[in-house]
Amino acid sequence: MNPLESLRLSWRSIRGHKLRSALTTLGIVIGIAAVIAFVTLGASLQAGIIGDISPDDQRNVYGWAAEPDTEGGPLAGAQPVFTQDDLEAVEELEDVDAAYGYANIQMQTVSNGNETVAQGNGLIASGPSYIREERLAEGRQFRMGEREAVLNPAAANQFEENVTVGDELTVTIFGGQQTTLEVVGITDTSEGQSPFEGFESSPRIYVPTDPYYTEQAAALSGGGDDTETDTGSDVRFLAIIVEAPSADDDDIDAARESATAYLESDRSDASELMGDDLAVRFRTSTELLQQLQDVLDLLRNFIVGIAAISLLVGSIGIANIMLVSVTERTREIGIMKAIGAQNRDVLGLFLTESVILGVIGSVLGTGLGLLGGYLGAQYIDLPLVYPLEYVALAVVVGMLVGIVAGLYPAWRAARTDPIDALRYE
Amino acid sequence: MARETAVALDGVRKTYRIGEPVHALDGVTLEVPRGSYTAIMGPSGSGKSTLMNLVGCLDTPTAGTVAVGGRTIGTLGDRERTRLRGTEVGFVFQTFNLMPRLNALENVALPQLFRGIDRAERRERARDLLERVGLGDRTDHLPNELSGGQRQRVALARALVNDPAIVLADEPSGNLDTDTEADILDLFDEFHAAGTTMLVVTHERHVAERADRIVHLLDGTIERIEELDGSASDGVTTDSIAGRESEPGADSE
Repeated sequence: MNPLESLRLSWRSIRGHKLRSALTTLGIVIGIAAVIAFVTLGASLQAGIIGDISPDDQRNVYGWAAEPDTEGGPLAGAQPVFTQDDLEAVEELEDVDAAYGYANIQMQTVSNGNETVAQGNGLIASGPSYIREERLAEGRQFRMGEREAVLNPAAANQFEENVTVGDELTVTIFGGQQTTLEVVGITDTSEGQSPFEGFESSPRIYVPTDPYYTEQAAALSGGGDDTETDTGSDVRFLAIIVEAPSADDDDIDAARESATAYLESDRSDASELMGDDLAVRFRTSTELLQQLQDVLDLLRNFIVGIAAISLLVGSIGIANIMLVSVTERTREIGIMKAIGAQNRDVLGLFLTESVILGVIGSVLGTGLGLLGGYLGAQYIDLPLVYPLEYVALAVVVGMLVGIVAGLYPAWRAARTDPIDALRYE
Repeated sequence: MARETAVALDGVRKTYRIGEPVHALDGVTLEVPRGSYTAIMGPSGSGKSTLMNLVGCLDTPTAGTVAVGGRTIGTLGDRERTRLRGTEVGFVFQTFNLMPRLNALENVALPQLFRGIDRAERRERARDLLERVGLGDRTDHLPNELSGGQRQRVALARALVNDPAIVLADEPSGNLDTDTEADILDLFDEFHAAGTTMLVVTHERHVAERADRIVHLLDGTIERIEELDGSASDGVTTDSIAGRESEPGADSE
């Protein structure tokens, strides 16, 4: 019997039990819809969090010193070991374009003229090229050694009167000291510029490490006594950013290796403090994001696992209904066999029926899941990303569920003895 | 012999082993010539159903041979037997046994579907047969939209669709009222006259009397064969085609 005829006959019996067929497919619909909706949301979440990393960040490697077996994201277990001399020496290395420290300075408030707002986080000290020129909406990069700052839009817009290039702000550092800065640029996005900051949107003020970090570190450590010594060699940085000449993998690896080699050699100041316990680790933002992505993947797999259980329940539902259907149609099976239906014809009919149920379920479930993913992404305000390979997978799974669930009932139907079946009431 | 004989049973024994072995058929030898009309009568448990199952290629004998359309079924595999059943045997059941969700035309065409015959061709054939049984205007009706007599006509058309060596009818009028019964039996006569070999199992004398001869079964053996030209003989019949005039029942049924 050709497949088209099987399809026609099977469809007939599915339509003969509309309610039952609908309820049977519902299990598959829910399972597939859940998988697709959650996978869509997961992909959208991923895109929302890490989707718009600036490509020019790709040639940076982010380094810190920590115990070798520390687990975690950026700066996990980091200890302040890098001195200004180290940074300068690394910058001199052949494979390195630029190197500068990175520090997050705790503060209390920011004032624009008479207006003061509380801001505890987001005073970020680093090198001038930390803010790429392409990322500037207005103005220019700050210069090292000057009291200058670049703001992101969230920081600039938190005052009643928006801050513009040329304005002067007063910042109260955590210790209570006040310092001024001149706004020289505004970035084009409020999202983080590197994995050290995190990627969420929040107000941030970018300043040069000299003078802001060096001053603050000196004030905290020396209580004022050490101010006459050379602050440049005394201040230790928690983190270091090294720029490779290009985003090419070989260049990045070369920069990473020569910086690591230098910092772990006896020539560096950092090695004194690191001793045997600490090791320098350099990561690209892609590698750091990978960790975040791993967490997201784990979460998604967990949810997909739960949804898969509902698929399993759905397939048991199909198997159950098919078994009932086989029993109920014992007589029909007997008739078909009496008039010349082969075992494989009967097997084919019942298998086709359960595959139809599985496919209908997965097609409806896919539609529902895509809709659910869309609504969810709208609601949480994420960029919508459809993982199409999962959609294809869902339909295949639906068919497989139909086949697996239908196999045993169909086999039972096929080996029904026509003599018994014709006698069956 | 294969040309002339639709069904040949030779020393057929069928034993069921449910606890004590039971011989449902015990040494039955019978030839059903092509074009003949045979009735089988006998009380319950006499082996009628077993005989039907054997001739209908639904079952295989424990001993002896059953040949249908010239092929011995005992040596055939299940698949071959199923094919033979589809092509050489046409079933008419007491309870009609039509597929409830297929219309009359589709029911009649179903055996040809399993033979893999082209859709247009088998619909044509089914329509033709439905016209011959007088249901040309009911082709798209579902079984539950048809009367009992009409359903049995559909069943007869279905039995004939593959041009079988023999039509097996098991109590074909058991669920019908008297008038409808007469119509169906007339139809049987009509097809028999046109050359179809008929084998009818029945309880009822007046149904059996439509046949050329009546085979009386008792306890798994042929008690006697009654030729309906008046004489009775036992053992294997000759190929005599008797007249179809019915004779008042002298048989104890």
